[in-house]
Amino acid sequence: MNSTTVLEVRDLVVKFRLRGRVLTAIRGASLELYEGEALAIVGESGSGKSVFTKTFIGMLDQNGWVDSGSIDFEGRDLTRQRTEGEWMGLRGRKIAMVFQDPMTSLNPLVPVGRQIGEVLTLHKGMTKDQARSAVVELLDRVGIPEPASRSRQLPHEYSGGMRQRAVIAMAIAAGPRILICDEPTTALDVTIQAQILKLVKALQKDFGFTTIYITHDLGVVANVADRVAVMYAGKIVETGTAEEIFYDARHPYTWALLSSLPQLGVKGQNLYSIAGTPPNLFNEIKGDAFAPRNPRAQKIDFEYEPPMFEVSPTHHAATWLLDPRSPKVDPPPAIQAMRARYQGRAS
Amino acid sequence: MKAVSFQIYKGETFGLVGESGSGKTTIGRAIIRINEASGGQILFRGKRIDGRIEAALDRELIQGIQMIFQDPLSSLNERAKVDYIVSEGLYQTKPGLSGAQRLSIVEKALLEVGLLPEFASRFPHEFSGGQRQRIGIARSLVMEPELIIADEPISALDVSIRAQVLNLLSRLQKEKGLTYLFIAHDLSVVRFISDRIAVINRGELVELADSEELFTRPLHPYTRALLSAIPIPDPIQERNKEILIYDPSCHDYSKEKPAWREAMRGHWVLANGQEVDSYLKLAPIPATEQT
Amino acid sequence: MMRAPDAEAMKAIDSRLFEFADYDASAGERAGYSNYSYWRSTLGMFLAKRSSRLFLWMLGILLLFTFVQPFLPGQRDPTTIFNDPATGMQYRNVPPGGQFWLGTNSIGQDLWARIWSGTRTSLLIGLSVGLAEMLIGIAFGALWGYVRRLDRVMTEIYNVLDNIPTTVLLMLLAYIMKPSFQTMVIAMCSVGWLGLARFVRNQIVIIRDREYNLASRCLGTPTRRIIAKNLLPYLVSVIMLQTALSIPGTIGWEVFLTYIGLGLPVSIPSLGNLVNEGRMIMMSEELRYQLIFPTVLLSIITISFYVLGNAFSDASDPRNHT
Repeated sequence: MNSTTVLEVRDLVVKFRLRGRVLTAIRGASLELYEGEALAIVGESGSGKSVFTKTFIGMLDQNGWVDSGSIDFEGRDLTRQRTEGEWMGLRGRKIAMVFQDPMTSLNPLVPVGRQIGEVLTLHKGMTKDQARSAVVELLDRVGIPEPASRSRQLPHEYSGGMRQRAVIAMAIAAGPRILICDEPTTALDVTIQAQILKLVKALQKDFGFTTIYITHDLGVVANVADRVAVMYAGKIVETGTAEEIFYDARHPYTWALLSSLPQLGVKGQNLYSIAGTPPNLFNEIKGDAFAPRNPRAQKIDFEYEPPMFEVSPTHHAATWLLDPRSPKVDPPPAIQAMRARYQGRAS
Repeated sequence: MKAVSFQIYKGETFGLVGESGSGKTTIGRAIIRINEASGGQILFRGKRIDGRIEAALDRELIQGIQMIFQDPLSSLNERAKVDYIVSEGLYQTKPGLSGAQRLSIVEKALLEVGLLPEFASRFPHEFSGGQRQRIGIARSLVMEPELIIADEPISALDVSIRAQVLNLLSRLQKEKGLTYLFIAHDLSVVRFISDRIAVINRGELVELADSEELFTRPLHPYTRALLSAIPIPDPIQERNKEILIYDPSCHDYSKEKPAWREAMRGHWVLANGQEVDSYLKLAPIPATEQT
Repeated sequence: MMRAPDAEAMKAIDSRLFEFADYDASAGERAGYSNYSYWRSTLGMFLAKRSSRLFLWMLGILLLFTFVQPFLPGQRDPTTIFNDPATGMQYRNVPPGGQFWLGTNSIGQDLWARIWSGTRTSLLIGLSVGLAEMLIGIAFGALWGYVRRLDRVMTEIYNVLDNIPTTVLLMLLAYIMKPSFQTMVIAMCSVGWLGLARFVRNQIVIIRDREYNLASRCLGTPTRRIIAKNLLPYLVSVIMLQTALSIPGTIGWEVFLTYIGLGLPVSIPSLGNLVNEGRMIMMSEELRYQLIFPTVLLSIITISFYVLGNAFSDASDPRNHT
């Protein structure tokens, strides 16, 4: 893996004004994105994972703003960009996004081919004729059969999976450096999902872009990610390589996410589960946001926010369990079983 | 929907798996009589329940069959308080109850699903998705049903909440001897909770077996494709898995039409005779089980 | 790179904190609570607008005064004809000021008293028609929207009634029956509910197949309770809006019917009668006050209802609740 940093986020704080109150959606998140990697940001709804990546392309909702922190990309601080003009050279051109619902990116009244062609004429300065043949090539590349005639069809004539392929073609048309996929397969059937993920992986290899996946599905993460960042209540609580996260997780929230999966459960026994729900981000959070749901929380979790402890140069976790003064807490059985399987396989 | 036949046994969890548009929801809704079946029969406790039925049987069915819905956001009445939502069915089954009696049943049901009794006087929008889904479960529990149709009950929930709800459903089944028809698209969830699984594709059942049997020895190519696509939360396994693609044209039904056949005991598959043989060859029966 | 935790600050932390805390499972359940309330937000949004506060005050004071006015001291009867004790002649067309605040009309009745009495009559017509339309419209619309079997029949009924020109029907009814308060109310109710019924029906069609309604059907809840508990509560705000808007509309119809001579008998003062009387003498400049005063009041009432209705409609849309 290449270790050139493409994008670096430092202590990002994003707030929203909602019903006269201020909600802190991102509470100081830091992240590095390396050239050519596939990073998965995992979290539940409301963890801030979508908001986090929307700040990279200046697409926060009207009532939201970056309160502090920085996002460095190609020598620019993206949090300082204000005008649409500044964003236009970047959004879709350098950083492209694929959404869960393909119809958010497609105009239902314009043929698919023309919509992709517009990206090419706008960002790559192609003539209409050049764009037309490039579109057919792109559609063919993303696995749409009979691309020439398909390019003249309207989005509703495509099936759900094909629509998502077309959106991917549109996103990579300008040759972006970063492709953000926000729950790209959540709305699709499992068989289609597997094909789409395979496609994105292959495209990444061919075109050499860097991918950020946003998902709540750890199966998808295992499939695509080189590195994983786990988000909870607007903070990144653990980052590491996929192996480190799946076989050697350290944060109790990551444990909970993994071991509550039915795939790892034993039939007839209870799944590991955590009580309660994520905290209300309108309220000020003191200490570790996960503490109220953590049965093995320590007193310090309610007092001080845990810093990022280093587990290995690539693996960091924000939990007081990693402080040498903490009592030893064993991960849940499903996590231990995974680790044992991994070690068994390795030896 | 084409003609579909299956039995659900008392006390079991029967999983019905299919992709979107497969007709799995239609089946569930036909059983609970939201949608009408245009042909065939539906029997509950041996009595026919489709079409026109008597008022007494209607009452029995309302009490005996209940449903848990997919979307916790739209399945609760936003303008009613939790106590009304949970006790709504009691107005039909136990019309004579006093307000205090009703409230005590509601509070008991809320406790049973792990919620606090004080929630009874609140409105649904105050709750998170998992809590709302448990309110929905409490609503069907007060009816003391025998069969619960759970239509994608956890797919709209967050990962950390799904386990809570699955555990709750299994606990309630043990405590109350409930029977579930568990409808879902996610095979790993269905495997975890179901005793038997039926796979449905384009309005047709293609395979039905005990759930471990189905996972270890899938016969129909559609089932095999579906199984191969399940995401595994283990990077090494997941990256190396082989995905099968189901091609409906792989069937040659020109000589012999497919039928619903019992390929092995309790393991049904939609195939013609020649296909059954070839499927069984692909998935040989372990020597210990051969008779 | 990730910044290492500040060693000094870390050391300063009391090491006694590194022990397990008490765990309360129900604390996690409580965490998900939000105290958003639909009606509180609607009211908040509504009152946040300065124009709606202004018009609310204005309309409130106006309504209060309209109904309190006869009981205040020194008020005259609106139908009595006043004579000048000195000459024994009627006080015809006395200009505003002094004895008669707003002057008198052509037969010597007190315009101040007549205007308030007329407003009372018109508002009563508006409110009763609005209320009746609301009841009929909701009942018809709810059944039309929810009970699929009735859809065709009720659509036909609607089409037939809707295709009769309102003006013709109103004129016909006003002609057949004797001009009176009841006639006005019945005539205007006869078609006025159609709009609301269709509106309610469309709203119900939109929400009737939401899962919570299916859930109610699974629980055996009878149709009338589904309508009352599941559907109408969602429509309260829009029904209120429609009714609020229909009141100025009704007052307008009353003025129109009176104008074409089919309204209330001249013996009952109403805004319609007053405007009509004023219109007849509109051409002479010194008498124009007899038209201006009722028209101003009519405008204030009508505009207030419209502005408030629209402000309420905006405020009641949950999408605007930010």
